[in-house]
Amino acid sequence: MGTFHDNKSALHGITVVVDTRGPKVYVGRCDDEDAEKVILVDADSHDDGANGKSKADYVKRAAKFGVWKRFDHIVIPRDEVVSISRLGDVHESTVKAVAAIVPAPARAPDNAPRAAADISTVIASPLSDKPIVSLTANAQVEVKRLIVEQNKPGLGLRLGVKGGGCSGFSYKLEFDQKKEGDIVVPFEQFNVYLDRKSTIYLRGITLDFQKGLAGKGFVFNNPNATNTCGCGESFSV
Amino acid sequence: MPYPEALVAPMRAELTSAGIKELKSAADVDAFMSEKAGTSMIVVNSVCGCAAGGARPGVKLALQHVKKPARVGTVFAGQDLDAVAKARSYFADIPPSSPCVALFKDGELVHFVPRHMIEGREPRSIAAELTAAFEENC
Repeated sequence: MGTFHDNKSALHGITVVVDTRGPKVYVGRCDDEDAEKVILVDADSHDDGANGKSKADYVKRAAKFGVWKRFDHIVIPRDEVVSISRLGDVHESTVKAVAAIVPAPARAPDNAPRAAADISTVIASPLSDKPIVSLTANAQVEVKRLIVEQNKPGLGLRLGVKGGGCSGFSYKLEFDQKKEGDIVVPFEQFNVYLDRKSTIYLRGITLDFQKGLAGKGFVFNNPNATNTCGCGESFSV
Repeated sequence: MPYPEALVAPMRAELTSAGIKELKSAADVDAFMSEKAGTSMIVVNSVCGCAAGGARPGVKLALQHVKKPARVGTVFAGQDLDAVAKARSYFADIPPSSPCVALFKDGELVHFVPRHMIEGREPRSIAAELTAAFEENC
């Protein structure tokens, strides 16, 4: 299914991944492409290995969330291009399988619910079937010790995410009071607070504490991260 | 610069006629999102072809499903700028795109369909993804 401009290529208006012979890969909306060039608008680029992320890592994340625009308009010489693919096709989800299996969404109760049952057996959301956060026993002991040291009533551990860091995102780890809208994860002697926007990046995370001279202190194990920097404080998804 | 309102009115009506609540200001969006319990969905509408040919009919088809969000709202990209900016503030740090669809459960973003998963897809395919998310979360 293309767009409505007969004088443009079939990919006009489609978000594509353009892989090149060199280190760069581009993601952007295709304006046009011919034998000489590929023109993208609202595009981003990534150098293989930049921030510890391969082209594949970058494209995987782009397929999940999209990209932040860095270029309004960019022209890529055709002889540098190895492949052009739709970003939507890169997103390896069961959505396409579901669309092939299910002829139409189930309707109101007086219609057969068969399609609804088929859907529920095919799809498992990656976002809602994991525990929110876990803390190892060592982490719980250390957090409790530090909270007692603070000597402030109602204090809990706040986990969050902020942009930045060498891999794209950084963890926030601080002692804080509960705020409106927080997700509260109770532990035996304290609560963990998460703001709702960060949860999509943190669901399933395990916080550990490695003590001793060679220990790293608090360590995040994040199943959502596709890459983590050497210090462990920054990650990308 | 926004398009003439007469041009976009039918695009708005295509969703509001299906019972989707139009959120035209930042305050409207905040009021819609203040009700955190249960499921809610925001559709970012737009003038582009993939909204007309994919997102709007796909959303309408999905909302015929047995399970669906309790509340559905829509903001219009390029038209109601403050409303769209406010809506995107609820979408975590996901790059802006339109059209797109965000599903929330108890105030938490649980499913997101960015533009590149709408463009070039048939409404039935878009509806299938949404109804799968509805089955999981609603």
